[in-house]
Amino acid sequence: MFLLPGLSGVMIFYLLPFLEVVRRSFLKSGNNAFVGTDNYRAVFANGAFVLAARNTLLYMAAGVPLLMGISLFLSLLLRNLVLRRRLVSAMLLPMAVPAAVMVLTMQILIDRQGVINGILTYVSEKITALPDFTAIDYLNTGWALVVVVCSFLWKNTGYMVILWLAGLAALPKEVEEAAQVDGANRWQSWHYIIRPGLSGSFFTIGMLSVLQIFKSYREVWMVAGSYPQERIYFLQHLLQNWYLKLEFDRMAALTVILSLVLLVVCLLLQKRLE
Amino acid sequence: MRLDRIFQQKSGNKTRNKTGNKTGGFGYAALMLLCAMCAALFGCGGGEEAEISMGRYADREVKLPGAGYEYMHPCADGGYYLFGNDVDLTHVAADGKVSREKWGWEKNANIHVKFSYGVSDDGAVIFGYTPMFYSDEEYEAYATEGDNRYLYYYVSEDGDRQPLDLRGTDYKKATNLERFAFAPDGRVYAASNSCVYRINVESGETESLFATGEQVREFAFVGDTMLAVDKEKAYLYDMAGEKPLSDNTVLNEFVTSHQNGRIALAVGEQTAEETQEGGSEVLYLACRTGLYRYVWGGSVIEQIADGQMTALGDSQYNPYALQILPDGEFRVYFSGNYMAELYYDETLPMKPSKELAVYSLRENGRVRYAGRLFQKEHPDVLVRYETGMDGDNAVNREDALKNLNTRILAGEVPDVIILDDMDMERYADKGVLRELDALLAPYEEEGVLYQSIVEGMRMTEEEKIYGVPMTVELPLYYGEKKYVGDMQGLDELAAGAEFARAEHPEGPLIDTPYQSNLFDLMIPLCLPAWTKEDGSPDTESLTAFYRTAKRLWELDSAGMSGEQRRKWQQDVADEEADLSNIMFTQYEDIYNIGETWIALGYMKNAWYGMTNLHTRMENYRNGYSIYKELEDEVAYGRLTGQAGNVYRARTIVGLCEQAKEPELGEMFMELLLSDTMMQKWWLEGHFDGGLPIRKDSLVSLLDFNNRAFAEVKGWTKQEIEVVYKEMFWPTEEERQWLFDRMEESDHCYRKGTFLEETVREVGVRVLDGELTPEEGAREVERKTAIAMEE
Repeated sequence: MFLLPGLSGVMIFYLLPFLEVVRRSFLKSGNNAFVGTDNYRAVFANGAFVLAARNTLLYMAAGVPLLMGISLFLSLLLRNLVLRRRLVSAMLLPMAVPAAVMVLTMQILIDRQGVINGILTYVSEKITALPDFTAIDYLNTGWALVVVVCSFLWKNTGYMVILWLAGLAALPKEVEEAAQVDGANRWQSWHYIIRPGLSGSFFTIGMLSVLQIFKSYREVWMVAGSYPQERIYFLQHLLQNWYLKLEFDRMAALTVILSLVLLVVCLLLQKRLE
Repeated sequence: MRLDRIFQQKSGNKTRNKTGNKTGGFGYAALMLLCAMCAALFGCGGGEEAEISMGRYADREVKLPGAGYEYMHPCADGGYYLFGNDVDLTHVAADGKVSREKWGWEKNANIHVKFSYGVSDDGAVIFGYTPMFYSDEEYEAYATEGDNRYLYYYVSEDGDRQPLDLRGTDYKKATNLERFAFAPDGRVYAASNSCVYRINVESGETESLFATGEQVREFAFVGDTMLAVDKEKAYLYDMAGEKPLSDNTVLNEFVTSHQNGRIALAVGEQTAEETQEGGSEVLYLACRTGLYRYVWGGSVIEQIADGQMTALGDSQYNPYALQILPDGEFRVYFSGNYMAELYYDETLPMKPSKELAVYSLRENGRVRYAGRLFQKEHPDVLVRYETGMDGDNAVNREDALKNLNTRILAGEVPDVIILDDMDMERYADKGVLRELDALLAPYEEEGVLYQSIVEGMRMTEEEKIYGVPMTVELPLYYGEKKYVGDMQGLDELAAGAEFARAEHPEGPLIDTPYQSNLFDLMIPLCLPAWTKEDGSPDTESLTAFYRTAKRLWELDSAGMSGEQRRKWQQDVADEEADLSNIMFTQYEDIYNIGETWIALGYMKNAWYGMTNLHTRMENYRNGYSIYKELEDEVAYGRLTGQAGNVYRARTIVGLCEQAKEPELGEMFMELLLSDTMMQKWWLEGHFDGGLPIRKDSLVSLLDFNNRAFAEVKGWTKQEIEVVYKEMFWPTEEERQWLFDRMEESDHCYRKGTFLEETVREVGVRVLDGELTPEEGAREVERKTAIAMEE
């Protein structure tokens, strides 16, 4: 009985709305006529969906491993440092920066007249051996995805480092020390002791990284609008725009698809790590 | 009914909750929680009320004894004073008798414009003004004191008058005094935007009492306490002890929650029946949300009249003064020279039985006004007019549309929807809007509306009408014949601009400080022509558009440096552009043409349009009088672009398919399209709402035969000197010209499409030289490709 209030909350605010979304995904918006799987087929046949799904996967494929790898590497470096706490606090700073400030900073850096172009132009002028540099509009060219991945890494690395450090702290030091006494080198310590010990953290941090990918949409939208350069047109853009265009039926179908995909990814990851 | 009885009746309706015994366990509580949640989800109660509560405040308009008033002072005896610039001080006694105090001396007193006012119960007046000319001494003081540009007069109740020299005291460092108030004890208080002063009207000495965060807008006197209210706070001052009092949190909260409008104040007495002791003072507060009552020193402010159901809720007016009348009635003087009395009507239901929901993205004064008319005609209906982006929140267009869509998704559909700046076709396509062909058929049969304009609203594959505008704006050009005489389209416009630039190498050509201004002018003329049959953008048309836009922008920019343009932009942004520079700059005594040689814009009204300049266009600042004899030298006409005879639709009325009150919605639409509504709105002084699409309304509005000639005031550039210019009523030929332009208008420009937004966004880069016109067109195509795929 003591679970009832909490369960009711989950039912009312998560499960029931989701069931409603599932129901709507089989109806036509406007007249609520039952259309079977038409909405699902319309989603898969939609060019914008294909583009957005491909871009989101690319973003995930680039962002998640990089984030996990870089943060793990940094946490291993920081693990035994005396100034670890201060450095970690400094690394958390990007998380505290409001999205608007972050967007402004990005614009100052990557604008056609921004800092990066300014430096590159200066360097190409000073070093005559280098070819002439033409200012790049990073957000309106193929560089857009690189910019987005970099900002994603900048914002989330500190947080992930803390999670890795927590995982590392939970490992029994004695085992590692015993291995070192037995002559294990750093690679062997990592491979046979640390890595297996961090498998639980892998799952958590991996899932959080995937979720952070979806959450980073806000910054992308603020910096590039509802219709950005096609490389950074993600599924959230599509959902947002469909919402504005009253395409509730297709939006519901896409939401169900996304939920299923995330569920499958989550289960596969869990199974693999087990 | 007396006020105390009204309140007793109101409070009698209230119920108090009783606390029950603490019974049952945790399971019972959980079950109750679940039930409550289920009830919240699926609705509970809902049964019809057995009895309808009757009685609520309504209002009646009070006819003012004249026009042009800007200030009202309520007197304790039930009468009131009215005053303003260019009008006599008028006293209306409690019995309605009107007496005017003519001040002939004003004309010779170097008074140009009066601004701030204060009147006492016995008729003493204090006012601030700007002079026609500053004396050397005044000018010196003005120069040294910077912002301090008002001068002041005090006129006693006997008519003795004296200029008030307020400099040399505490006031020296202050800016203008915007508010004056006479306390019941005869002392005079005034407020600048940062301080409240006490003024000695005999000596002109001022004494600062306390600082304020903003300009104090209202004063009230409760016993020995002075209450001063600015935009953010209520300040209390002990007049006997001469010291500020601590804050009243109840009043402060009220003020901060009503920041976006004025709050008029009045002080009354609480009756003996209401308090055992009797005699407590009551503060009444009138604002847009309603009339409120606060027992002085109490902890609650109680609403006694709902703004939505009275004139208080009308957003075009702000309550400026409040007066308590006998029998629980109130008199409210509003901005816009409007006065109404609130009275308690026992025959009206406390809550109207029906509700008409009207929605628009932005505030629309005309719709608000129609709502008031509708509600007066149907007292059993509450017109709930809601705006997506009202001034109280910082919601942007996208968020407002999302909010609306969420509500549509949840089945909360408005009955009437104003489709300005909305993607109307999308809403029609998704079945949100109701098809209007059948409703508009009688109008077509009787030839009431300009049918070409109505036909221009057809959309979707079925070619149906889902929205109809109340008014339209026509694109026009105006200038010397040698520049604009052969104007047929945008190419001729660019050629004319080249000619003008050759003759005038410096200064702007067209009134477009920002790139966006140029697009505001040009996009409506071309947008309907940019979409191919398959919905994709026509890159050829877009390239041609960008070429012309770039040519015009470069011609305009050739006459000024980047620094000059930035200064111009800054002036416009600050709204501090020096009028003397704008007016009479190039044509001197001929006519005002702003800072430009070719004027482009949209004809927004027939009155200014046809009487003064043939058109008073959007971007044509201060477009005042044209001399009739100049007609041979200047030309005007319809500006056309790639899309032919375009009109800009305003106040597009649509009805929702799933409306809860479809019949009321139809009636409201009929009201909006009625001659009464279209004329009344104009006749009440709202001149920039567009040209009515009703033929008879436009004809009536242009019928000047019975109206007197008038003249307009202007200022010359060289020195401050008022000049008067004669206005001419339009001839029959000119009127017919306008009717013909209306008849031929058949392409509707509707704001708010993604294509337009993209063309604007990319266009700025084209004008800045980042992209060529061809690249710009391709960029638009690329950007819209995703939107089309969606």
